[in-house]
Amino acid sequence: MIEINDLTKYYGKAESRFKALDGVSVRINDGEFIVILGASGSGKSTFLNVISGLETPDGGCVAYDSQELGNMSEKDLTKFRRENTAYIFQQYYLLPHLNVEKNVRMGADLDNNKDYLKYIEAVGLSDKRRKFPSELSGGEQQRVAIARALAKNPKVLFLDEPTGALDEETGRQVLDYIIRLHEEQGFTMIMVTHNGNIAETADRIIKMNSGKIVSVTENTDKKTA
Amino acid sequence: MIVSIKDSVKLFGISIMTCCAVTVCNMFLNYYLDLTAIAGLIDNPYAQMFYDAQIMTSKVVCAVSGGCLAITTVVMLFFYIKHYIDSHSKEIGILKALGYSNFKIAKGFSVFGLSVFLGCFVGYLLSFALMPQFYELQNKDGYLPELSIGFHWILFFLLVIAPTLVFALIAVCNSLLKLRQPCVNLLKGIVKIKGKTKNTKDKKTFVAEMRSSVLRSRKTLVFFIAFSSFCFSAMIQMSASMKDLSSEMMGLMMLIIGVVLAFTTLYIAVTTVIRSNQKNIAMMRVFGYDSADCKRSVLDGYRPAAYIGFIIGSVYQYALLRIMVDIVFSGVEGIPEYAFDFLMFFITLAVFIVVYEGVMFAYGQSMKKYR
Ligand SMILES: Nc1ncnc2c1ncn2[C@@H]1O[C@H](COP(=O)(O)OP(=O)(O)OP(=O)(O)O)[C@@H](O)[C@H]1O
Ligand SMILES: [Mg+2]
Repeated sequence: MIEINDLTKYYGKAESRFKALDGVSVRINDGEFIVILGASGSGKSTFLNVISGLETPDGGCVAYDSQELGNMSEKDLTKFRRENTAYIFQQYYLLPHLNVEKNVRMGADLDNNKDYLKYIEAVGLSDKRRKFPSELSGGEQQRVAIARALAKNPKVLFLDEPTGALDEETGRQVLDYIIRLHEEQGFTMIMVTHNGNIAETADRIIKMNSGKIVSVTENTDKKTA
Repeated sequence: MIVSIKDSVKLFGISIMTCCAVTVCNMFLNYYLDLTAIAGLIDNPYAQMFYDAQIMTSKVVCAVSGGCLAITTVVMLFFYIKHYIDSHSKEIGILKALGYSNFKIAKGFSVFGLSVFLGCFVGYLLSFALMPQFYELQNKDGYLPELSIGFHWILFFLLVIAPTLVFALIAVCNSLLKLRQPCVNLLKGIVKIKGKTKNTKDKKTFVAEMRSSVLRSRKTLVFFIAFSSFCFSAMIQMSASMKDLSSEMMGLMMLIIGVVLAFTTLYIAVTTVIRSNQKNIAMMRVFGYDSADCKRSVLDGYRPAAYIGFIIGSVYQYALLRIMVDIVFSGVEGIPEYAFDFLMFFITLAVFIVVYEGVMFAYGQSMKKYR
C-alpha cells in the first residue's frame, strides 16, 4: 500500500516560487490501477516523480507499506527502487548509444530476467531490436521505454503518458498488453494520461488541477482488457 | 547567442595554461631580447661563453615549455569545443532549423578567445612582476654587463594579441567544421555509432555493454583522458628533472608550473568525463542501479586509457630530455648526467593514483545525491 500524505512541492525561489503540488493526499492499494487525469501543467508529472521517490517533496510524506521514503538512506532508496519500481517517462529517456535490446536489458538485468526478448516482441519491435534509439520513430522509442520498464518485473509501475506518441491502434495494443500483465502479475499501476478511454479500464481515477486533487472516482463499471 | 561569456569562464583551465606559457615565454624572450641588445658590450671570451649559454637556454626553454603548452592548449580547446557542440547539439540544431547560418552560430564560439586573452594577459603581467628577480639571478655572478628590463611591443603582440586572435579563429573554424552535419542529426542528438553490436556480444550484461558502448561512443573522451594523464606524468617528471639541469629558481618555477598544469588538465579531463555521462548515470539511478554500478559502467572504462597515458608520458619526457641533453646541450659545460629518475617516477605515479582514483571515488560518492 502506498500512503501519500499532504504532499507539497515548490519550484523556483522567492517571488517566482511556484506551488506545483498543494496538499495532495491519497491512499493506493496494492495491485490497484490508478489513472491520473488533468490539464497540462496541473502537476501530474510532479506528483508521479514525488511519489516514486525521484523528487523529494517540500512537505508531507510518501510511505510504502509504512516504510517512509523520506527516512530512507541513499542505499535503502536504491535497493527500494531496484526491487520495486519502474518508470515510463513522458520523454522516454533511452540510453542513446545502446541498441533496443540493451536498453531493455537495463531493466531486465536488475531482476535477473533472462526472458526479456518477450517484452520486445510484445511491443512489436522484434525486428528492430538491434537498432539504436536515434534510428527509431518517436512511438517506437516509447515502446522500447515500455518494454524496458516491464522487463524489470516491478511491483509498482509508474507511467507518464505511456502511449502519448502512439497512434490509436498501436497505443491500444500496447496498453492492452500492459494491462494484461498487470492482471497476471498483480503489480500496482499509476498512470498519467490525457486519454479518457484509457481511464475506463482503471480501478480509480484521480483528477488534478493546479497541484490539487479535485476528485477521486471509483470506477464501478470497469472495462477489462 | 548560444555561447555566452559564462561558458568561456568555464574554460579557466585554458586560461591557466596560457597564463603559465606566457609567463615563462615572456620572461625568457624578454631576457633574450635584452641580452641580444647588449651583445656588442661583451668584451672577454669568458663572458661570451656565458652569453651563448644563456641565449641557448632561453631558446630551449621557450621552445620546450612554450611549445608543449601551446599544443596542450590547442588540444584542450579542440576538445572543449567538440564536447560543447556535442552536448548542445539540440540547441544548435534548433538554431539551424530556424535558419541561422553555420557561420552565425560558429561566430559565437570566438568568445573562447577571451579565456585565452585573459590567461595571456595575466601571464604577461606576472612575468614582469617576476622579471627583476629573474634578471638578477641569471646574472648573479656578474659575468655580463648590467641589464635593464626593456619593454618590447613585439612580445606583447606575439604573446597576448596573436594567441587571442589565433585561438578565436581556431574556435570558429573548428566549430564550423563540426556544424557541417544535417540539421536533423543535431536535433536528434545522433551519436555516431560505429562497429554495431555483433551477435557474439549478446551475452554481455547491461553494465558490461554500457561500459564498452560508453567508450565507443565517446572515443575522443578516451583520448582526452589519456592525453591529460600523459601531460600530468610528463610535466611533473620533466619539471623535476629540469630542476637539476638548470638553476634552482628556474627549476622550482618549472615544478610549480608543471604541477599546476598537470592538476588542471587532469581535473578538467575527469570532470568532463563525468559531466558528459551525467544523463546516463541519472537514468541508471532511476532504475535502481547503485552508485557502484554506475561508476563501474560509466567511469571505470577510462582507467586503462589513463594509465597508458601516464606510462607514455613518462617515456616521452625521458626521451625529450635525453635528446635535449645529448644534442642541444652537448657542447655546453656543467650540464649534469641525465638518467631516468625512478624515484620521481614512483612519486608521480603515487600522486597520480591518489588524484585520479580520489576524484573518481569522490564522484562515485557524490552520485549518491542523485536520489
Ligand atoms: N523543474 C521545474 N521548475 C519549475 N517549475 C516546474 C518544474 N517542473 C514543473 N514545473 C511546473 O510545475 C507545474 C506542473 O508540472 P508538471 O510537469 O507536473 O505538469 P503535468 O501535469 O505533468 O503537465 P503535462 O500534462 O503537460 O505533462 C507546471 O506549471 C510546470 O511549469
Ligand atoms: Mg507531464
